[in-house]
Amino acid sequence: MSFSLTPPLLFVVAYLTGLFTIAHLADRGIIPPRITHHPATYVLSLGVFAGAMASNGIIELAHLYGYNFLLYYLGVVLMFVMATVLLVPLLRLCRVYQLASLADVLTFRFRSPWVGATITVVMCITLLPLLALQIQAVADSVHILTGASGSLLSRHNRPDGLALLFCIIITVFSILFGTRHASSQHRNTGLVTAIAFESLTKLLAMLILLLAAIFPVFGGFDGLQQWLAESAEARRLLDQPIHGDTARALLLVFFAAAVCMPHIFHMAFAENNDSRDLRAATWGLPLYLLLLSLPILPVTWAGIKLGQNLPIDYSGLAIGLALDSVTVNAAAFTACMSAASATIIVTTLALANMCINHLVLPSNLLQIDREQSIYTQLKWLRRSLIGLLILAGYAFFITLSGSQSLVQLAVVAFTGTLQFLPGIIATPYWPGANRKGLLAGLGGGLLLWFLAMLLPLFGDYSLSLLDFLFESVSGPGEERWATATMLSLALNAGLFIAVSLLTRTSTNERVAAEICSMDEVIRPTRQTLALHSVHEFSRQLATALGENTAQTVVHQALTDLQFSPRETRPYALRRLRSRIEANLSGLLGPAVAYSIVERCIPFAPGLHGSTEDINLIERNLDRAQSRFTGVAADLDNLRRHHRETLDKLPIGVCSIGADGELLMWNRAMVHITGIASGDVLGSLLDSLVEPWRQIIGDFQRSTANTALKTEVPNATGAARWISLHKASPEDGDSANHTVILVEDITDFELLEEELLHNERLASIGRLAAGVAHEIGNPITGIACLAQNLEFETDPQEIRHTARDILRQTERVSRIVESLVNFSHAGSGAGDTRPAPANLADCVDEAIHLLALDRETRPARFSNHCDREIVVLADSQRLLQVFVNLLGNARDACDDNGQVQIRAVAQDDTVTIHVEDNGCGIPPQLQTQVFEPFYTTKDPGAGTGLGLSLVFSIMDDMGGSVQLTSPIAPPPHPGTRVTLQLPRTSYGDTFVVGAAPAGTVLE
Amino acid sequence: MYINRVLLLVIGVALIFLPAIEGWMANSETNWYRPYLLWLLIVIAAYWNQRSRYPDEL
Repeated sequence: MSFSLTPPLLFVVAYLTGLFTIAHLADRGIIPPRITHHPATYVLSLGVFAGAMASNGIIELAHLYGYNFLLYYLGVVLMFVMATVLLVPLLRLCRVYQLASLADVLTFRFRSPWVGATITVVMCITLLPLLALQIQAVADSVHILTGASGSLLSRHNRPDGLALLFCIIITVFSILFGTRHASSQHRNTGLVTAIAFESLTKLLAMLILLLAAIFPVFGGFDGLQQWLAESAEARRLLDQPIHGDTARALLLVFFAAAVCMPHIFHMAFAENNDSRDLRAATWGLPLYLLLLSLPILPVTWAGIKLGQNLPIDYSGLAIGLALDSVTVNAAAFTACMSAASATIIVTTLALANMCINHLVLPSNLLQIDREQSIYTQLKWLRRSLIGLLILAGYAFFITLSGSQSLVQLAVVAFTGTLQFLPGIIATPYWPGANRKGLLAGLGGGLLLWFLAMLLPLFGDYSLSLLDFLFESVSGPGEERWATATMLSLALNAGLFIAVSLLTRTSTNERVAAEICSMDEVIRPTRQTLALHSVHEFSRQLATALGENTAQTVVHQALTDLQFSPRETRPYALRRLRSRIEANLSGLLGPAVAYSIVERCIPFAPGLHGSTEDINLIERNLDRAQSRFTGVAADLDNLRRHHRETLDKLPIGVCSIGADGELLMWNRAMVHITGIASGDVLGSLLDSLVEPWRQIIGDFQRSTANTALKTEVPNATGAARWISLHKASPEDGDSANHTVILVEDITDFELLEEELLHNERLASIGRLAAGVAHEIGNPITGIACLAQNLEFETDPQEIRHTARDILRQTERVSRIVESLVNFSHAGSGAGDTRPAPANLADCVDEAIHLLALDRETRPARFSNHCDREIVVLADSQRLLQVFVNLLGNARDACDDNGQVQIRAVAQDDTVTIHVEDNGCGIPPQLQTQVFEPFYTTKDPGAGTGLGLSLVFSIMDDMGGSVQLTSPIAPPPHPGTRVTLQLPRTSYGDTFVVGAAPAGTVLE
Repeated sequence: MYINRVLLLVIGVALIFLPAIEGWMANSETNWYRPYLLWLLIVIAAYWNQRSRYPDEL
């Protein structure tokens, strides 16, 4: 049975058109997202691993090595089962930093465009055999179906025209939907769905071949078992041991393929960013490969049994031709074509991306700063490269002219990409690795691979040195390619390690290594940006990307992070910078992205790595919580406990870094300041809103560690007070951090004001009798004068009497005014205003008020204060101080009591001494007399608040109080109270709330 | 390191028993699909292992 050329070609076109339709429908959302985004779709798309090697070459592998062919699948199965070893860290990196290829990952890790360029060039070369393999499998299949026998597949009768036709069709298809998105940030749903469909088709086709092999060829399972028992060749295959260099090399090569082959990497990481899908793939892909491999042995045996004059790779077609079955032939051809087309499409797409990101863009071949869309330029460039790569694969295929089997081609391609394995393993696990080591290792390994693997494809180029080497290290019966594979990898790893250890690792590489590291003790360092706003970001990026693209990139990053365009917090700007680099990496590759971001959004020099990024560390720890086990989990729980304790403290806690960045802002701070922690964390202290910027900033800069009472200006007029405490650890890692505790003492202050007012009222009560008497005298006088006035006719006398009445009235008014002033003094917090006050007048007023109290013992007050002395104080509150002090002094004296008031003016202060010759205060009581409600007087005679208020008022006014007793020998030891107040003069001006340095008490 | 400790244990045990497993699998006197039974066990173990993971461990 044979076909004309038209049906297979029409079948190819129809199949690929169907595939394109599926991709289009998936892209448009007509195929529901629950299907296109289902983990099963992702798992099936990973079936791209199984190219023509899995549909055809694997049969040859089974024929050569028996059960060892399973290692082709088991290598990948192991990689996915052990996903946490390499796949999870790689997916994390790719997702966060928008890395779409192996070259992206290694360029990001080793911070060198040379690494990316080298890997891209090497990848393109090593994958030419793989592309040629796919082309050869399809072309040979068409050739066989159209009537050629195995003998026709010779060097002189190759189906080159068929191969070219296939290449053109597949190129058109790859270009049509493989380049929909310019950035790797977007999942190419159409591509993923189409490849998943291809995997499903491939599986169904292989299962049809299985049924065809077992039932029509062997007549069922019993027939197969019987044939196996009788066939010596079959027994030979089954008895081959699964060990030795060949087996190890096979396992290693296909284990590494899961991350080293660009098409698998592309489907696994670039088209997926969900760990849920990867978790499904850890068992889904092994299951898929199990089903896919199940038909291999029966098909191989069927091929041996039927003995068609065809290469063993095409046993599927041999069965179809022998059975004369269109279905079986179609299944065999479909399996081959779907496998080959998927591999070619994804491989060339991935390679094209790598070429753009690591060859074209870094070399400035594309003008990316032009205003016209970068995205359009990139799409067309990618399309051209896809075409070019497929043609290169075709050229390789033509050059070989079918001289090599599918397995040979596959082995060369897979062992070539194996050379990237040391670099990939070092990415998450060895921060000490550097680019020089990587390039040296790659150079050594690839040189050996080129001489021992690639070169022999084109003829017998045996080198005596290599022959000697292989003979000396390989065991009896070992394959030359297996020995070459192990040797090249050993040379690669050896050079990589040695050169990395012997050469210096740059700072950039160390930072990138920290990011890539799987070590939990990563300590991100905080760097300071030279730019301070989102607008500046856009403006600077515009110089490299053009205005429109820069704005788009910045806007996208802001949207990703859910930040406001008005963001100015350094922490947020640092994250924005990283996000922009990641997004640009998805668009232009990590090398160009890094270069642009370094140039346009640089870090400020001099502060590199100066301090740890606490916010970032906390964020990382929060996100990594589920991964901690054992001691790490305990430590994390402890951290959370302490964090929560700090957060729930009723006292405000804020922590400030050496560069002024706010690192902590607990709930109490939010309550006290009304500023949400999310608004300030990571921002600079200077960016706080007033009055907090000034209050916390001044306190942080001051040398004092405590500010007991600081008034917080408030727009609503309601006064608030806080006390501040500061701690600056002088050792350890947080040497330059400052921790500030903020306590809201408004309630306490209001209570104190209330007490002050009550004490004042109590004083007024005590003065009441005297006041009545004082007022009574002039009133009596006024009454007498008024009576006289009634009968007076002499105008001179009337005027004289009127003046007397007025004098008496003034006396009454002065008494009343004194009382009113005293009762209102400092009744509200807002009344506290420092102003120049004449000290002697204030003392006189206090003496005058005390003179109104007739029920107490008389005492002689002597005011010796200089009349010129002016102090900076609230005169009303100062009056309260003197009333309390002089009242206490008088109460302490006997009937011959004398109270002296003196004042001494220094440069900036005035010292006032109030001395009495009373009973004095015992030393053991001197510390208690300033406490509230402490009194030595009889019950009802005093409230115990007098001296406490004196202390409090003096503290408020920036002054101080000292008490000395005794000051004279008994029997009148006496007491001296020394007050100190700021000195001023009437001409001075004052800034309210700014001055008194004394508000800070050490 | 986030490598599953159970996985390390399984790998260790597998290495110890590799010769016995190989002898059990690659033998023309027995059913040819024996290796697939072992493979199926790996699939089931992998499925069981991933079920206990957190939703997003990246």
